[in-house]
Amino acid sequence: MTKMTAILKVEHVSKRFGGLRAVNDVSFSVQDGEMLFIVGPNGAGKTTLFNLITGFQQPDQGVIEFAGRPLAGTPPHRVARLGIGRTFQIVKPLRNLTVRENVMLGAFLHTRKVAEAADRAREVLEFLQMQAVSEQPANGLPLPTLKRLEIARALATRPKLILLDEVVAGLPTSEALALAALLQRLPEWGVTAVAGVEHVMQVVMKVAHRVVVLDHGALIAEGAPADVVRRPEVIEAYLGAKYKQVTG
Amino acid sequence: MTSRNRIPTILAVGGFGLCLLVPLVVHQDYELNVLFRIALFAALGLAWNLVGGYAGQLSLGNAAFFGIGAYSLPVFHRLGAPIVVALVLGMVTAVAAALVIGRVAFRLRGPYFALATIAFAEVLRLSAKNLDKITGGDVGIQVPALFASDPSRWFYWSAVALTAAALATTVLIVRSRFGYALQAVREDEDTTLACGIDAARTKLLAFLISAAFTALGGALYASLFFYIVPDQVLAIEISEKSAIVAMLGGAGTMVGPIVGAVLLETAQELFKNWFQEAHQLIYGVLLVVVVLFLPDGIVGSVTARWRKRSAR
Amino acid sequence: MEVKLWSLVQAVLSGLLTGSLYALIGMGMALIFGVMRIVNFAHGAFMMLGMYAAYVLFDRVGVSPYVGFIVSAALLFAVGTGVYQTLLRRVADRSDFMQILLTLGIAQIIIGGVQVVFHGDFLQVNLPLRSINLRLGAQIAINLGDLLAFLITVVLALGMFLVVMKTRFGRALRAIAQNRYAASLMGIDVRRTQAVAFGLGLAAVGMAGGLLLPAFYLYPEVGGQFTLKSFVIVVLGGMGSVEGAAIAGLVLGVIESLTSLYWGNEWALVVDFALFLLVLSVKPTGLFGSQRV
Repeated sequence: MTKMTAILKVEHVSKRFGGLRAVNDVSFSVQDGEMLFIVGPNGAGKTTLFNLITGFQQPDQGVIEFAGRPLAGTPPHRVARLGIGRTFQIVKPLRNLTVRENVMLGAFLHTRKVAEAADRAREVLEFLQMQAVSEQPANGLPLPTLKRLEIARALATRPKLILLDEVVAGLPTSEALALAALLQRLPEWGVTAVAGVEHVMQVVMKVAHRVVVLDHGALIAEGAPADVVRRPEVIEAYLGAKYKQVTG
Repeated sequence: MTSRNRIPTILAVGGFGLCLLVPLVVHQDYELNVLFRIALFAALGLAWNLVGGYAGQLSLGNAAFFGIGAYSLPVFHRLGAPIVVALVLGMVTAVAAALVIGRVAFRLRGPYFALATIAFAEVLRLSAKNLDKITGGDVGIQVPALFASDPSRWFYWSAVALTAAALATTVLIVRSRFGYALQAVREDEDTTLACGIDAARTKLLAFLISAAFTALGGALYASLFFYIVPDQVLAIEISEKSAIVAMLGGAGTMVGPIVGAVLLETAQELFKNWFQEAHQLIYGVLLVVVVLFLPDGIVGSVTARWRKRSAR
Repeated sequence: MEVKLWSLVQAVLSGLLTGSLYALIGMGMALIFGVMRIVNFAHGAFMMLGMYAAYVLFDRVGVSPYVGFIVSAALLFAVGTGVYQTLLRRVADRSDFMQILLTLGIAQIIIGGVQVVFHGDFLQVNLPLRSINLRLGAQIAINLGDLLAFLITVVLALGMFLVVMKTRFGRALRAIAQNRYAASLMGIDVRRTQAVAFGLGLAAVGMAGGLLLPAFYLYPEVGGQFTLKSFVIVVLGGMGSVEGAAIAGLVLGVIESLTSLYWGNEWALVVDFALFLLVLSVKPTGLFGSQRV
């Protein structure tokens, strides 16, 4: 049952930077349509993992398969064309272009026509409730808007899988919850989502189907959010005081 | 939306029409040559602008393509090619060179890219000086005349046509998917890749188009001057001037390079009459002023201020 | 066969002599790039300034450039710190693009300025020292002037190396080169250190200019080739590595000399650039560098 519908398979993937093992023998899979959260403190390896999946970096060991097809050596722009979209932890807006133009960049993956790309961009911006800022230059916009812009841009590429790197980090709780509600609607767009988060446990519990926990590059737990949270190794790794926030 | 787009087009067409009529009023060779240079550097600036302004890559080696265009005319003509064919071959050779240079240079970031482009141009210049059996070396080579009668007029018209073509190409590109990709590459290459765009190929394509236009400009210039040497048509000053012209007018704007060329050449002409050797000093001051106070260039700054006013 | 060997040895020796000056120029550029990440396109123009200073000293006061280079150094140090504080500091946070254009502009100002004052005439300094050739055996000749310049350069380069490695100021420089923000947190006055570093880098190149003066024709554009050569040296040696630049300078001098021997003078500069492009394509971090390109 799992093999048929696994949209992403990560098998024994490792990556070192000099002496540092950023990702250490990590294996997991993502089912089509589910919402997987990769949880781990900063430095746990989430971003490196995302870079490995999207081709910005190559793993030292292991195999990454997307929709049954190994991604080894595929450059990032081709990975995007295959249907994996991503946001960046440190937002990278195209500053001298407007919000709409930013999103159009993603839309161009499926059309050559400027008008069509603009329409598509408008659709996406509506979904993310960003119509109001659509004609403003990306430069100088507040962080919550830029985080949404990252998602909009990635969504415009019509991905089958979207990787959201710390997409709610630095946002006030109300914003984070609003964004989480939007993320729950991603299946409407035919998108499976994998999100990397440091904490913000409320969001995780509310939205995730399954959770994978990373600690110092290694995968230490996997399962339903309510289960994983109770595991001693996870609590020990870092939940600590956050545990109270979740169960209290 | 459409009515707003028509006015600039009408202005542009009208402007070029006026430019074409100029030789009916101006008859002196000297003046026509000055106007030729204005139009030529407008075209060179527009060509540079595609790579430097829109793609955001600081290329300082366009002299390579200028020189290739310049030398292709006499070299291929001597091998038996008719003049038009020699012109086309010049463009083709320049594009081929751009492929080679781009492959190497675009893998490098920031200052390394600029340095690589300079290095390529310098290698070409020095090779042209040394391979004197082909190029005539420092002694020079005679360039076939493109126009038999009334050359000054025809060169001027050709330069204006070249500028018009370069501007039209710029407009077409900027409004297309390719234009968005170029600007995205300038703003953030990782984001561009994450959207499925081959950033390297995008930059390379802009580079090739830029090279083609620059080579044509070089051929025109060579034919007007009749006799060329490497230190003239492969000089780093040509690369610098193309960049300065675009930066002064506004890199990343459509008409910026034209404005920059008009201003710079005019100022140079005026100052050349008053201070024989000061034009380099003026380049320098202009460049420093633009970088420190006018980074968007004249057109860019005006557009920004206009946008702020209309946003109220 | 024996004649060819001696020519080779001669070429290598001449190359080392010239290379020592290249090393000095390169070390200056490496210092500037290492501490400020500024690619100084005006490097050669500043060197030219040093040459003109030494020339004026010789022409008006009769001081030999082999002594006058010290004045060139002092002048360029002052100019360097001044230029940094007034102009370069303002683009410290801007893109490479803008920084390069700024230094290009500064170069043009210097060249243009010199052109206005001295005009384009080719100037030359004739020293009796330069007409003496030391002979080692029958086949090797070393110009006394070149040898003197070499010896002075070695001392200067060692001095520079010691300053960078052993002094507190040098440590501050290296701290900034590694991590500007951390350095400022440690109490280092980043701006002032950078200004001094820029001044030092230009002083080095000014000294080289003064020492090179007796061997070159002097004209406003003479600096251009040295800017380009210093890029080659710094890329070869690893951007920001002062030791690397020193060795790369010597290597470049020898390579140029050997190229001149076998293919003629004209190709020496071409080989410079070909080497540059080769290193950039194959190992962009240079022979000694470890920075990401």
